[in-house]
Amino acid sequence: MSSTPQPSSPMALSKPSFLRKRKSQSLATTMPSAASYLSALSQADARARSHHHPHVRSPSSTPALSISSSLTASSDETAFNEDDDNTDGLSLPARPPTSEQVFSTVHTEFGHCADGRYRLTSAHVAGTEVPAHVEHDPPYYILFSTYISYLILICLGHVRDFVGKRFYPSAYTHLIPKDGYAPLNSDFDSFYTRRLKTRLDECFSQPTTGVAGRTIVLLDRASPDYNHTQYFTGNRTRALNISSYNYLGFAQARGGCADAVEESIKRYGISTCGTRLAGGTSDLHSIGEALVAKFVGMEDALISSMGFATNSTFIPALVGKGCLVISDELNHASIRFGVRLSGANVRMFKHNDMKSLESLLREVISQGQPKTHRPWKKILLIVEGLYSMEGTMVNLPAVMELKKKYKFYLFVDEAHSIGALGPNGRGVADYFGINPRSIDILMGTFTKSFGAAGGYIAGNKQLIDRMRLHGHAGAYAESMTPAVLTQVIASMASIMGLALPPMLPSSSATTLRLSSANSTSMEEEYSHPGPVPPTALPSWLTLPPALASGAEGSNRLRRLAFNSRYLHNGLDKLGFITYGHPSSPIVPLLLFNPGKMNMFHRMMKDRQTPIVVVVVAYPATPLVTSRVRFCVSAAHTKEDVDTVLRACDEIGDILDLKHGVKKSERWGVDEICERAVEIAGM
Amino acid sequence: MNTTSTTLEPALEFLARTLTTAEAAFNKLPGSAVIQRYVKSSHQNDPGRTILELILLIFAIRTLLQSRTRADKNYISFSDKEVDELVDEWTPEPLGQALSPQEQADLAAVPVISGPNGPRPKIASTGKTAVNLASFNFTGLSGSEEIKERAVEILRKYGLGSCGPPGFYGTLDVHMQLERDIADFLGTEASILYSQGFSTISSVIPAFCKRGDIIVADRGVNFAIQKGIQISRSTVRWFDHNDLKSLEEVLESVEKERKKRRGPLTRRFIVTEGVFEKDGAMVDLPKLIDIKFKHKYRLVLDESISFGTVGRTGRGLTELYNVPASKVDMLVGSVANGLNSCGGFCAGSQIVVNHQRINGLSFVFSASMPALLSVAASEGINILRNTPSILATLHENIQVTHAILDRVDCISIPSHPASPIIHIYIKNSKSSLHPSAAITMPVSNKPSNPTSILPKDAASWDWDIPTEEKLLQDVVDEALAQGVLVTKARRLRGQEMVEARPSIRLALTSALTKKETEKAVNVVKHALVKVLGKRR
Repeated sequence: MSSTPQPSSPMALSKPSFLRKRKSQSLATTMPSAASYLSALSQADARARSHHHPHVRSPSSTPALSISSSLTASSDETAFNEDDDNTDGLSLPARPPTSEQVFSTVHTEFGHCADGRYRLTSAHVAGTEVPAHVEHDPPYYILFSTYISYLILICLGHVRDFVGKRFYPSAYTHLIPKDGYAPLNSDFDSFYTRRLKTRLDECFSQPTTGVAGRTIVLLDRASPDYNHTQYFTGNRTRALNISSYNYLGFAQARGGCADAVEESIKRYGISTCGTRLAGGTSDLHSIGEALVAKFVGMEDALISSMGFATNSTFIPALVGKGCLVISDELNHASIRFGVRLSGANVRMFKHNDMKSLESLLREVISQGQPKTHRPWKKILLIVEGLYSMEGTMVNLPAVMELKKKYKFYLFVDEAHSIGALGPNGRGVADYFGINPRSIDILMGTFTKSFGAAGGYIAGNKQLIDRMRLHGHAGAYAESMTPAVLTQVIASMASIMGLALPPMLPSSSATTLRLSSANSTSMEEEYSHPGPVPPTALPSWLTLPPALASGAEGSNRLRRLAFNSRYLHNGLDKLGFITYGHPSSPIVPLLLFNPGKMNMFHRMMKDRQTPIVVVVVAYPATPLVTSRVRFCVSAAHTKEDVDTVLRACDEIGDILDLKHGVKKSERWGVDEICERAVEIAGM
Repeated sequence: MNTTSTTLEPALEFLARTLTTAEAAFNKLPGSAVIQRYVKSSHQNDPGRTILELILLIFAIRTLLQSRTRADKNYISFSDKEVDELVDEWTPEPLGQALSPQEQADLAAVPVISGPNGPRPKIASTGKTAVNLASFNFTGLSGSEEIKERAVEILRKYGLGSCGPPGFYGTLDVHMQLERDIADFLGTEASILYSQGFSTISSVIPAFCKRGDIIVADRGVNFAIQKGIQISRSTVRWFDHNDLKSLEEVLESVEKERKKRRGPLTRRFIVTEGVFEKDGAMVDLPKLIDIKFKHKYRLVLDESISFGTVGRTGRGLTELYNVPASKVDMLVGSVANGLNSCGGFCAGSQIVVNHQRINGLSFVFSASMPALLSVAASEGINILRNTPSILATLHENIQVTHAILDRVDCISIPSHPASPIIHIYIKNSKSSLHPSAAITMPVSNKPSNPTSILPKDAASWDWDIPTEEKLLQDVVDEALAQGVLVTKARRLRGQEMVEARPSIRLALTSALTKKETEKAVNVVKHALVKVLGKRR
């Protein structure tokens, strides 16, 4: 890591770190309240400073490292030596592999799990209701205390501003007009950031290093002045990563995909130098787009180098003045950005509420354009497959029914659902068994399930060709780089699996003739959602057998489906309030009180096995429903999910978070871990 | 009479009973005595007031109820059946019109490069190599073996994707390193990375410019800036393209307007480009900085083309004119163009940068850039710092190109002699091109209307876009047949605020020697003369 030295403040040595982790496990189990937790934490700190902290738990067993060829502990190039001791239980699998099990992944990047019971298929059970977005209300005292908390924070903030402006004017110079310049940010506009978010800054923008896989390495930081500044302590912590959008676990520095990327860097270099329309299109783009089209089951697809920009630059090319966009109220910022640029009218409907949508549709079609009452040129409904903050899945069957009746066009943003849902990983249409071609536009990103970057938009050829020419990206935005394209192609192909080459006759002359004939016929023979014909991939790309056969891809899909349902249902059984569809890999757990966000985040990170979580609050969510958002990955083992459940169980008791079901109906955490398979299947 | 009283009796009794219970309940309420006393005394003092208050109460309740109903007077209520009929009747337009033959030809003409891009890529359609004057490889970094090696090294440590937005575990140490590298390279306090060059400025502008703020922008700004201005909803005033005198006039008129309205002091920004993407013109930075300080504006400078290409080591306009970069409030550049990686950045003071970490839309809501691309850019900066000869070669190649093209009389070149992109216009003196060209419009001395992006002489623009586009495409095809890859400047016709004039855009590179450049540009020159000469 010589390339990236971290500035370590000299203060880091003299000042005691109040964020010391790896306290003994017995500490957290007996904590009756948050306050006592904190005081115990500082005691533990003092103890740890006075004498060397012994390892609390040694690895339960030594895996048969020397026998099996599995890469259990990460090799020198990928890992950081301080983690090799496995005190945190992250570097070595909980159950040592047997000699016949061969894992090709690094355990810290992609967990080893050979138990076939921990697999599920992600699919909608025909005939059952699609769960609507239900908001469970917490007890009134929680709501009340949440409002009071915000009230206190706001009052305190204003008092501090009032006093501060008079006694410490130098700290406010950037907020008041100076030398004839208006402030960049008025104190009113920035009030929320300065007085509320600063208190939580510990939870945000945590710098990391290495692969954002099953585990992630944090660069520890601390703040000497209540989060106004933060410095790096110079330490690193490996933590269980249940926060990154790494649904299928393709964030890997080792393995078939990374090998393919390395090959592509050697062949293609770093960049394709320019925009798609003016000298920046490479043959890899064409291959990638054809493959994406096959993967999602559309006629054609177009790739963009940034996920946010996919929405913000292509939506304006779809709709314009005289058109109406109907948008779910919780749609992503990029969709709003694109719609605002397009100049189309916008109407919103209640989140995933089909009744609200239908009554809106009836109103807008009958009323026509405002003032003139002319009929709309076109109506475009924009929904997300899976909502990133709620974990709700769009009620696609109902939307398709409405689409037939009301003739609107449908745009599904599959940023989170592509790869993560469906028996074949083809997204929300696959999950519900709906023909993707009956949807007009499918949009998605490669950041999440494919471990890459950028996004795509797919539809019929005529439409996509139009986007190539009239979307903003084609003429002005840089094209996707070869390395990213290769990651997309390799990971996508390994989810699809390669179609087996046909039986070859012995004569070489006929082989040649046949194979050339086959290559064309196989192009046509691709049936959605089937394996990809090898001719659709770059000729230099070779995938290891496990990836090429699609076995690993399907294994990942089924592991993700199991982990998602297990965590979601497990948290429900423990008594927490969660949102979202049980099959969704995004699992939000409701915290409500703003003060609990900090606490939850820190208590998860300070455990023996540190866990990093994402906490989100207003303005990303409504004011009261602050939450922690887990993003499950196929890279997690069942034991990892156990760890998360146990941590939540303990912390949930301390922070009083279990308001979902009555005490008598809750399950114990041991029982949940034991009956995991049953719980996931519920 | 009797019967009514008997039927009414229980009802009256019930009413009296409920009234007494209601009164008792009211009296039990804490604080009810105060209300009672207040009503009594106010009624005693002024009975009219009670009526007024009652009316007010009714009015308040009415408004409260009304807010749930439709404010829109235009609303027509239909019965369900009528709505069904209207729904059945409605037929939407197709989502996307089919491309016209011209558009199809445009799309088919897009060159696809087989294998790596560089100074001599292989064109997929012909299978032959061509000298590349189309792609953005200004300093030849795309061929660097060092960068490739570093990228592979980083791939093996970080994997590819960062799998998260910067706020949620997507900030890698290598991103912070590149941000520091860029800030050090330019000499600013800090910088912030965006993951796409195009989306950078269209996020930076709305992060600072809000409704009511004032943006004074050049009429020739690129599409991304136009979009940023559009989304910011600020008040926009335009000044003539690359004309700082016009800028001063507009600034003065804005100030006059503010004084007249006695409006509050709002944030004011000048938005312009270092080297303009549209025509390669270059802004006079020292003068611009003077003006900005004089009028107390903040400067947003888009250096997407000039960063990594202009100046002795590629630090951009600030290096060329020897102006400290810290004097530019928001310096936006493209990592993709200048350093052959991907993404963009905004450099400035710590306050400017930190503000964007919360308010830069495409920073907050987008995944951070892949680690290996970030490191590739850091390496690129290293190479530029340590090898000034790269930029010297590039500048020499630019000079050579100008020297050759200046002697062609059927074209005009609006680009600055130091710009790494050179736009070629068809000279507009030909009346054969378009009939309206024959009538020369008298240009008045009155300044252009600052609220419109169209300049005063827009009426006299005599180029016919489809004809010129077609001619230029012929030039491009001819050059490619002779082994030189060039491209038309691609535009989004119909979506731009002002239609740019069709042009051929050459992008020069230091990866070609002076001789090679000379040879390639001569091919372009012959193609120009051959195609445009025919029109005569």
